[in-house]
Amino acid sequence: MKMKFNFISSSVLDGKPLNKRISFILNKVKDGTILVTDGVMKPDEEMALIKETMRRVDTGFPGIEVASLKKPTKGLQKVVESMSDQSDRIRKYLSILTGTKMKTSSLKTGLTLIGPAKYIKNIKKNPNSFSVLTEV
Amino acid sequence: MNFKDFLDWFYKFFGLKRNIRLGIYGETNVGKTTLANRISLDWTGEEVGKVSSVPHETRFVQRKEKVQLKLNKKKIILNLLDMPGLATKIDYKSFLKYGLSKKEAKKRAREATEGIIEAIKWLGNVDTVLAVMDSSRDPFTQVNITLLGNLEARKIPVIIVANKIDKKGAKPQMIREAFPGYPTVEVSALKGKNMDDLYKSIARYAK
Repeated sequence: MKMKFNFISSSVLDGKPLNKRISFILNKVKDGTILVTDGVMKPDEEMALIKETMRRVDTGFPGIEVASLKKPTKGLQKVVESMSDQSDRIRKYLSILTGTKMKTSSLKTGLTLIGPAKYIKNIKKNPNSFSVLTEV
Repeated sequence: MNFKDFLDWFYKFFGLKRNIRLGIYGETNVGKTTLANRISLDWTGEEVGKVSSVPHETRFVQRKEKVQLKLNKKKIILNLLDMPGLATKIDYKSFLKYGLSKKEAKKRAREATEGIIEAIKWLGNVDTVLAVMDSSRDPFTQVNITLLGNLEARKIPVIIVANKIDKKGAKPQMIREAFPGYPTVEVSALKGKNMDDLYKSIARYAK
């Protein structure tokens, strides 16, 4: 059997609101594709991904395997990142208050691999790398 | 100041006691229910839930309310919340090797997915979390990283519980190395080892 890898730029995902971003990811993964992108989701977005995955689990789709490597941030970059998190929170509250959809923030710099658990048997992680074992 | 901070301030200001909702989170089969049972047995004499070697035994949030810890002069009232194990995948076929029928396995898988969704929803309603990890397993998993990242972002106090230190090959120091900066307590919930250290940590960090 063949296995498809899809390397996509984080800018493709950045333009989408979270629910559409998650749907995009899960639709690809459910089709058997392994997605690799140059960005890292925020922890709450990852939890939302797990939650949505659980809703979609069925006999043919047992779920996903995820591994990500976040680029360590230091000094000014860390401050900017923290400010970005705060502005996301404000955007979220404003979105709830006004009932309008606001553009979600961009992914953090790093690397993420998301694939179907049916084919990815194990991911061995350490802080600076990860290795993936597949079985088709 | 968020609502939870305001409530903390309010209760403290008026000298009122508030029950701390202590969520017990972690991957499957790391000993969350064994730990919940141990804490509950130590302070109330009653268990919280059933323990099993079959993954996803806990598929609904199990509660034990008003567990009163007395440590020196300090009293803490806990509402224990034993959460279903977190996972990114649930394959019903994995339950078949434990002797479950296909129908039972599918039912268990469906309930387990619902349990995970419920556990994630509860993250917004817990005051403090015990993040339980199995000392004999690799702790550096995406589920553990995601869980700790979420707790940090929500500013929820967390104590890492390096459980199963009685197991052959247990390496609790791997957990400390993987997640430095978090208060970590090494215990065996099954044998009741080092539980006093955990209670001291709860008294120190829970709020």
